[in-house]
Amino acid sequence: MNPAKDAPLSPSRVGQSGMNPLENFRMAFESLWGNKLRSFLALLGIVIGVFAVTAMISLGQMATAGITQDLEAVAGRSIFVQPNFNEGQDFNSAPIRDVDIQALQPLPVTVIPQLFTNIQYESKPGERRSMQLQGTPGDLPRLDPTNKIARGRYFTDVEARGGLAVAVLSDRAAKDLFPNREAVGQIARLYYPGGARIDLTVVGVLEPPSGIFGGFGSTATVYAPIQLIWNTSPVARKGQYDFVIMSLKKGADSSQVTQQVRRIFENRYGKGKYQIQSTESFQGTLQSITLILQALLGAIAGLSLLVGGIGIMNIMLVSVTERTREIGLRKALGATSGQVRQQFLIEAVVLTLVGGILGVALAAGLLLLITATVPFFKVYILNPTTVFLALAVSALVGLFFGVWPAARAAALDPIEALRYE
Amino acid sequence: MSPVVHMQGVTKVYRSGSNARTVEVYALSGVDLTIHQAEYVALMGPSGSGKSTLMHIIGLLDSPTEGEYSLGGEPVRGLNEGQLARIRNQRVGFVFQAFFLLPRLTALHNVALPLVYRGIPAAERLKRAQKALESVGLGDRLDHLPSELSGGQKQRVAIARALVQEPDLLLADEPTGNLDSKSSDEIMELFDALHRQGKTIVVVTHEPDVGARAERIVRLRDGKVADGGMA
Repeated sequence: MNPAKDAPLSPSRVGQSGMNPLENFRMAFESLWGNKLRSFLALLGIVIGVFAVTAMISLGQMATAGITQDLEAVAGRSIFVQPNFNEGQDFNSAPIRDVDIQALQPLPVTVIPQLFTNIQYESKPGERRSMQLQGTPGDLPRLDPTNKIARGRYFTDVEARGGLAVAVLSDRAAKDLFPNREAVGQIARLYYPGGARIDLTVVGVLEPPSGIFGGFGSTATVYAPIQLIWNTSPVARKGQYDFVIMSLKKGADSSQVTQQVRRIFENRYGKGKYQIQSTESFQGTLQSITLILQALLGAIAGLSLLVGGIGIMNIMLVSVTERTREIGLRKALGATSGQVRQQFLIEAVVLTLVGGILGVALAAGLLLLITATVPFFKVYILNPTTVFLALAVSALVGLFFGVWPAARAAALDPIEALRYE
Repeated sequence: MSPVVHMQGVTKVYRSGSNARTVEVYALSGVDLTIHQAEYVALMGPSGSGKSTLMHIIGLLDSPTEGEYSLGGEPVRGLNEGQLARIRNQRVGFVFQAFFLLPRLTALHNVALPLVYRGIPAAERLKRAQKALESVGLGDRLDHLPSELSGGQKQRVAIARALVQEPDLLLADEPTGNLDSKSSDEIMELFDALHRQGKTIVVVTHEPDVGARAERIVRLRDGKVADGGMA
C-alpha cells in the first residue's frame, strides 16, 4: 500500500516532484530520432547556415594568413622610400642622396639603395624591346633574403663598388635575352634609350618569385652595380638613388622604425616629398580588405542561418500541433506547463545544435580539402573560438526560434488537447 | 478518515459571447459528491449531463466556478497550475477511452512516463513500471510498442501507467469504449481485482453493464446529481 496515501497535501509532498532536466534531453533525442527524415530535413537549413558561416570565417583567416606569408616572401619585413612625383616636377626633382642613406644607417635596418632605369635589347635583328635595369649593391641576396639565386651567383660587393660590367638576370629576363640557352656566362648586349651600348657578363639568374604577389616581381629585370649605371647611363646622376628598401633586422618594430625614417626625411626636405611605406602597412591594408569581405560574406551566410531558424520554427509548430494529444496526456500525467515548454525548447535546441555540429564538421572537411588542393591556402585554420561561436549561435537559433512553438505547447489546455483528433 | 473526494455545491459555468450578451451555460450546478477510500463508483448519465466536466474537476484538469472540492482531505481552491500538475501526478491515475499511449515508446517506457515528472531515476522508474505491468498481466510484453498490442492489452498498459503512480484515485473515462466485449470483460475484471485490493476507483461510463459492476452508481442529470451522491 502506498505509505503516502493518508498524508495531507503538504507543500513538502507536493514540492518533491522535481523533474531531472536531463530527461528532457533524452526525450528530445527520442522524439527527433523517431522522426529521422523530418528531423534531418529540418536541420539541413541549420547545417548549411553554420557550414557557410564557419567556412567563411575560416577561409577569411586562411586568406589573411596566406596574404601575409606571400607578402613577406616577396618583400620581407621592409620599409620602402621613394620620391613623390608631384605634378610639374621632373623625375630628379627630389632624389634620394648619399647623405640620406648615411642618415638611415643608425636605424635597425639593412639599407639597400636602388636605381631604376629603362634599357633595351635586340629581340631579333632590327627590333628592340624594353626591360628594366636595376642598380643594386653587391650581395643582394644576403642583404635581402627575398631575392634567391637560382643559378650562378650574385655580383660581389667589390664588383659593385668597382662598377664592373656584370649582371644578374631575373628569371623572366633570362628567358627573354637567352631563349633556349643557359644565360650564366653569356654576354648581355643592352642599349640605353639614347643609344649608348653596354655589354654585361651574366654571372647569375634569380629564382622566379612565388605566391600571389609573384606577379610583381615577374618583370624582366637586369640587376647591375649602381656604380656601373652612374658611369654609363645618360640620365642617372652620381650619388642619387630612386628607391630605398630597408630590410628590418630581427626584433625591430616596423611601425616605430617607419616613424623614424619619416622623421628623417621630413626634417631634411619637409612633408610630402617622399613616400614611406612598410610591408606591415600593406598587410594592414590587405587585412582590412579581407576583413570587410569576411564580414560581408559572413552576413550573407548569417542570412541562411536565419532562414534555417525559420525552418526550425515551422517544423516545431507542426510538431506541436501533431503532438497535441501527447501534450495533453503529459499534462494529465503531471507535467507542468514549464516542463512542457522546456521539453519543446530543448527539442529545438538539440535539433539546431546537431545541425551546428554537422555544419562545423562539413566546414572542417571543406577547409582540409581546400588546404590540400589550393596552393594559395597554405595553412589550415579552424579556430576553437570559431567552432565554439558556431555551436553557440546554432544553439541560440534553436532557443530563439523554439520559444514560440514551445509557448504554444505549454499553453495548451489539457482537456482540449486530449479531445483533439 | 477524510474521504478521497469531497464536493459541496460544485458549479461549473461556461461563459461565451461578448460582454453585452453573455451566454452562461451551467455544466454543473450545485454538485454534492463524496467518495470514500476503497470505494468503486460508477459515474453515469446521458451525454450533456455534465459527467465529463465532473470527471475533469475530480481529476484536477479543470476547476469549479463555485463550491468546495477537497481531494484527499485537502481543498484545491487557489492552487496554481504547477501545484495542480504535481497533485495530479501523485494522487490521480487517469485511464482514457482512447488509451493515449505514446506510439514511439515501448509498453515499459509508457508506463514509466508519469514517474519522469517526479524526478525518479531511470532505473527505479523502469523497475516500478515492470512491476505495474506484471500486476496487469503484461509481464511478457514489456518491450512491445503500442502498435504491437491488442486493444485490451493497450488499455491494460494504460491502467498499469495509472497504477505506477500509486494514486489515491483511479479515474477511468469510458475505459471500455474502444474495446470489443471480450476485452471489455477482461478490463472490468481487472478493475474488480483492483477494487478487491482496496483501490479507490471512479469509472465514468454510459454503459449499464459497466456501471453495474461498481458498488455505487452516481447518476447525473442536467448538471445535478440525481442519485447516489452521498455514500
